[in-house]
Amino acid sequence: MIRDITIGQYFPGNSYLHKLDPRAKIVITFIYIVALFLCKNFFSLLLLLTVSVAAVLISRISFRVILKGMKMILLIILFTAVLQVFYNDKGTVLWQPFPRWDFVITDSGVFSAIFLSVRIVALILFSSLLTYTTSPTMLTDAIERLLSPLKHLHVNVHALSMMMTIALRFIPTLIEELNIIISAQKARGADLDSGSLTKRAKALIPIFVPLFVSAFRRAYELAFAMECRCYNGDNGRTRMKVMKLCLRDYLGLLASIALTAAVIVTSYLDLGSLFLFESVI
Amino acid sequence: MGNDKLISFENVSFSYSDESSEEIRYALKDINLAIHRGEFIAVLGHNGSGKSTLAKLSNSIYAPSSGKVFVEGMDTSDPENEFPIRKKVGVVFQNPDNQIVASIVEEDVAFGPENLGIPPAEIRQRVDEALRAVDMYGYRLHETHRLSGGQKQRVAIAGMLAMQPECLVLDEPTAMLDPMGRKEVMSIVRSLNRERGMTVVYITHYMEEAALADRVVIIDNSRIAADASPKQIFADQALLSRCGLAVPEITQIAYLLNKMGFSVPPDILTEEEMIQAIQTVSRSG
Ligand SMILES: Nc1ncnc2c1ncn2[C@@H]1O[C@H](COP(=O)(O)OP(=O)(O)O)[C@@H](O)[C@H]1O
Ligand SMILES: [Mg+2]
Repeated sequence: MIRDITIGQYFPGNSYLHKLDPRAKIVITFIYIVALFLCKNFFSLLLLLTVSVAAVLISRISFRVILKGMKMILLIILFTAVLQVFYNDKGTVLWQPFPRWDFVITDSGVFSAIFLSVRIVALILFSSLLTYTTSPTMLTDAIERLLSPLKHLHVNVHALSMMMTIALRFIPTLIEELNIIISAQKARGADLDSGSLTKRAKALIPIFVPLFVSAFRRAYELAFAMECRCYNGDNGRTRMKVMKLCLRDYLGLLASIALTAAVIVTSYLDLGSLFLFESVI
Repeated sequence: MGNDKLISFENVSFSYSDESSEEIRYALKDINLAIHRGEFIAVLGHNGSGKSTLAKLSNSIYAPSSGKVFVEGMDTSDPENEFPIRKKVGVVFQNPDNQIVASIVEEDVAFGPENLGIPPAEIRQRVDEALRAVDMYGYRLHETHRLSGGQKQRVAIAGMLAMQPECLVLDEPTAMLDPMGRKEVMSIVRSLNRERGMTVVYITHYMEEAALADRVVIIDNSRIAADASPKQIFADQALLSRCGLAVPEITQIAYLLNKMGFSVPPDILTEEEMIQAIQTVSRSG
């Protein structure tokens, strides 16, 4: 299960999305998320979902890969959707499974559950494309540049982005190490899956202590290695990959703003009963 | 190989404990060592003898407690020289996982030149060249954590090469690798020395690897115990056992064959030499 985590995974490629400037990609993703939160009816939601699916197609990353990354989250979505159905008792009753309790499934509940799930799926589809099509270093570099105005407030933006780069680099290494330690402790008879909550919490100590010790040792050695490579903060540092906004970036930004405008128009302006499903949330 | 001194250790001692403590334990004591341009030196010694300390003294990570280390005449204890020295002497450590900074191969190799402030187009060129030199160009867009140990170590070496150093110091680069990975790394390091004239200081505890060097330095108990050619070193069984080291297997076999009366030289160091010797023996009857 732990192995399925794909945080920050990158699939090199040559698509339009891969070529977009990472700064533009971050801003576009942000605008898309705002649009998702503004959207109030099925028409605009469908529009947003179509855009995410189109984005996946453009990225030429296979849906299989993306679904694999979403496996865990789909479970959570399913769970929230079920809760949504049970908690909403507005609207017309569709089904009352237990006549003795006032527990009903209503059309509004079903709609809101579907709406919520589609919204989360669209969100994850679109935002995971950001990391799938951008290498971690480019991503943290872009964040560094976008946050660079904070330098005037004496925030060490470069250090923050270096920390993110290193964190992304070491997440897979530490996950692998965690798995090794768990196996090693199990081989010595550690019982991790039974007993009371406190007992289980205690069983985690022999897992996390070695993990932390090893993480500190790695940090110590990495610091030497970085010194050997003349690391000196961002003093006089250049980059191999230059970021330059060009036409395609402006087009992408424009498209995302147009999309948001469309969502606002369809969600908030009364366009009569043009659309089948009116606002449900 | 010129007589051009690249790195010289002059009466160097180093202690991790600070001066105020009562009894000073030296990690290195009275080291005198000259490393010449183009040389391939192996440094041997058992665990805790001070090899890693020597590596970290060579590029101004540590300054000697007493004595001086010079790199092309620059004093390593002068903070002003820190970066110029690290540009000349690249150190590769034992654990490949803990010296790779970026998630993608080419971005990691670019880290050093980026720190040096090289213009982007030249970084690209240096990165590609360094990756070709370690035979990892095809992997430039791969994720670093998915590589094998030997591949990771080659990326770490490329990371140093991209800084275009004069000398590579490798601190037990194969200690954590499987036999395949060891072979890969060793053959890359050898070709860097033979074909590109890179000066190499190769710290190891594998005799077979040391046998490939021009010169072997043995460190025992914080001091230099021997500094000679591999043949001379491996012929001196007493020295090796005194320093807690074992002769390479192939040399041991040659020694035994020689004692049994075959005309095989007792100081054979490599498989190729052994094959040749056996062919000569079988041909002569
Ligand atoms: N960071 C440190 N702090 C204190 N003592 C150290 C440190 N690193 C190494 N030592 C000591 O210095 C000696 C030499 O260590 P080292 O140079 O790592 O040897 P080698 O690499 O040959 O195994 C050892 O006795 C070791 O315990
Ligand atoms: Mg060591």
